[in-house]
Amino acid sequence: MTSVNESPARPAHRTPVPRVGPLAGVRVADFCWMGVGSVATRMLADFGAEVIKIENRRRIDRPRLLPIYKGEARNYGEEVPDADPNRGGLHNNYSRNKLGITVDMKSPKGRDLVDRLISVSSVVTENFAPGVMERWGLTYERLDELSPNVVYGRMSGFGHSGPHAHFKSYGPIVQAVSGLSFISGLPGREPSGWGLSYMDNQAAYYNSAALMMAILRRNKTGRGAEVDVSAVEVGISMIGPDMLDVTVNGHHTRRPDFPRGNRLEHPPAAPHGVYPSDSDDRWIAIAVFGDDDWTRFVEAIGRPAWTEDPRFATEGSRRAHQDALDEHVTAWTRQRSPREAMLLLQSAGVAAGAAQTAEEINEWDPQLRERGIFFELDHPVIGEARFEGTPVTFSRTRQHTWRSAPLLGEDNHHVFGDMLGLTGDEIAELESEGVI
Amino acid sequence: MWDGPTSELTYSGLRVVELAQDPQGEIVGKLLADQGADVVKVEPPGGSAGRRIGPWAQGHEGDPDHSLHFWTYNTGKRSVVVDTSTAEGRQERGALITDADVLITSAGPRDLEADGLDLHALVDELPHLIVLSVSPFGLTGPWAEWRSSDLVALAAGGILMSCGYDDHTIPPIRPGGNQAFQIAASFGHCGVLLALLERQATGLGQLVDVSMHEAVAVSGELANPYWFYPRVLLERQTCRHAQPSPTQPALFECADGVQVYFALILSDDRTWTTLVEWLTTLGLDLDLGGEEYLSLAYRQEHFSHIQTIMESFFLMQDSVTVYEEAQRRGLPIGPVFAPEQLLDDPHLRERGFFVPVAAGDGEPALFPGAPFRFSYGTGGPKAPPRLGADTAAVVSGLAAGEVAS
Repeated sequence: MTSVNESPARPAHRTPVPRVGPLAGVRVADFCWMGVGSVATRMLADFGAEVIKIENRRRIDRPRLLPIYKGEARNYGEEVPDADPNRGGLHNNYSRNKLGITVDMKSPKGRDLVDRLISVSSVVTENFAPGVMERWGLTYERLDELSPNVVYGRMSGFGHSGPHAHFKSYGPIVQAVSGLSFISGLPGREPSGWGLSYMDNQAAYYNSAALMMAILRRNKTGRGAEVDVSAVEVGISMIGPDMLDVTVNGHHTRRPDFPRGNRLEHPPAAPHGVYPSDSDDRWIAIAVFGDDDWTRFVEAIGRPAWTEDPRFATEGSRRAHQDALDEHVTAWTRQRSPREAMLLLQSAGVAAGAAQTAEEINEWDPQLRERGIFFELDHPVIGEARFEGTPVTFSRTRQHTWRSAPLLGEDNHHVFGDMLGLTGDEIAELESEGVI
Repeated sequence: MWDGPTSELTYSGLRVVELAQDPQGEIVGKLLADQGADVVKVEPPGGSAGRRIGPWAQGHEGDPDHSLHFWTYNTGKRSVVVDTSTAEGRQERGALITDADVLITSAGPRDLEADGLDLHALVDELPHLIVLSVSPFGLTGPWAEWRSSDLVALAAGGILMSCGYDDHTIPPIRPGGNQAFQIAASFGHCGVLLALLERQATGLGQLVDVSMHEAVAVSGELANPYWFYPRVLLERQTCRHAQPSPTQPALFECADGVQVYFALILSDDRTWTTLVEWLTTLGLDLDLGGEEYLSLAYRQEHFSHIQTIMESFFLMQDSVTVYEEAQRRGLPIGPVFAPEQLLDDPHLRERGFFVPVAAGDGEPALFPGAPFRFSYGTGGPKAPPRLGADTAAVVSGLAAGEVAS
């Protein structure tokens, strides 16, 4: 090891600390970018792995540039020209607890640095289009030479084999081609699908799990693995019973009464829907399953006369007359705020939930507050910011939160100096040559 | 005590007892079973709640051994019927748990207590045991006893407000497929993995408490960051990202009636050139090839014209042609496939994604295969158990164990 090469300007609280947690001792050379990759390695970073995010100054990670800024409301496609890569809130949310380095993979010196980094890492992760890692010579075989028994996590839209392996995708495409968009919407209309990249999160969670599975096995057997996760296949695995209705019963879902909107056929439920409240575009979800629930619901809303209507006497009959039933329920919900309706129904033992906005989740929800799901960290450019925590409360394991997301290249000196042994002069030369 | 796979698959040799009757816990058990764990599902007389949920295999409506809901979430498990309302039943269940590495529950605190289960006491008594609870709101907090469902969880957790139609007189629409349960299960699976890794290092188990409400609340992608930073709320839009302000439609209907998703990012010059070249092949480039369109400002100003031309262009071709041709040209476009179309997809066929499973009495049916692949070996779904199929074997095993001890 050479002398410490810390940049003199770095404040003490940004300096990397020894990591603790169930993944302590695991070092990840992390090529992941965009949402799906960055969320996948975030869980490893949260629980003790030393995740080194490898970035390219020529092709900045999009979440750094997406204009989710304090005090400035823009659609996420409306990037600011010459955006400051250290200002993006989405990147801060995705890459906390990670180290950040920059390397130009077009330069032989850069590729050599990465080889050296991989040789002192035990996990390599990437979510590029298939072929990118191969162009750099970073096949599983090569990685295993550099770091024997490496775990190589490969995350892509379609997986690394098959005729569509090279197809381009991002969340909404994955949702479309996996069937998840089609099964969402009102019958007789275009699908409403998803208003978010749901599969960026879900594929990320499955990638986190797959990496941990391979690490768990290596801890016992000493042997590494190549892991191939296709986001589309993760998506199809989540279609649920509608998929088996197709394969077992030969039913088609492209039919006039499908999908079912907010109504529920299995298990049968009525009323079951999202109802308007006393204010514009604010809603309450109500789910009444079976006769006991119905009795509680009737009691909770004060036993109005319409509930005696014989059309609403049995589960089957309520389902058969849902249009009429929903009109009555709507007349009741329109008199109340979503929160008031939720509290009233839940206190009577009926499943109900206000369709909460992000503001309500963050500022009002007493359950989330008590369990402490959100936390705050300072950031040199952004300042104090809130983060989404891990929705798992362990009695023993602790999430090790030590820093907000790295500035672009923030840990170059720590990684290339302390970890790989380059001198200050060597690092300065790489900087001036544009290699890092 | 299990400290890693005993044969090829990741979870081989892992012993799991599953008391969960709801998908958010059952999915975790399925993910473990499909990759080799021995998952013993403890069911009440009459069977788990999921066995009474349809749809059913045709001709078997109401039959607890032919619920497609149950099959979906319970592949590869063993089924043991135990009446835990009796002292004897609780003793049997206790013996099963004593032998297990992982216990999975899905009920809230009051229901657990009513069933005679104290999760903290179990972890104290059995220091190696990992207890995974995946419950609607978590085991603590003011809403811990509240009722939930997939719809209610998506609503309260915030995702619902991002999903629906441009027309806001229509309520937000629940995305299909029990996704709140799926999100909770994803964290359940990761939680078990972190606890197993911790146990490899320390030999100690623990209680892992996953809240479906929290899991949904952190899975809305942009909604929270837009609140954390600019403090704006997103507005839902038809089948595309909810945003602070409206954007152009992204669904285009093709000649075969199937829609494709295409969000044209106008600021991307390369995409623009590629699109115009592609439009030229059907003579639909019209004036779009003109030099004035090389300016982003001009494109933005004339977006509705561009949109109209694209609508005609897609209507002239079937969706699979559009899909293949767009992707060949490097444009991220995908058809909105219905589940039945997935079975004919050449890519999924070549990867052998769907696998035959001999469920029920009929011919083997195709199930979605493993969602991840490992170079050392990947398992897949096996037949879901008939109700109580393994009661005799498992209970006699317990009896033998008692004799031996």
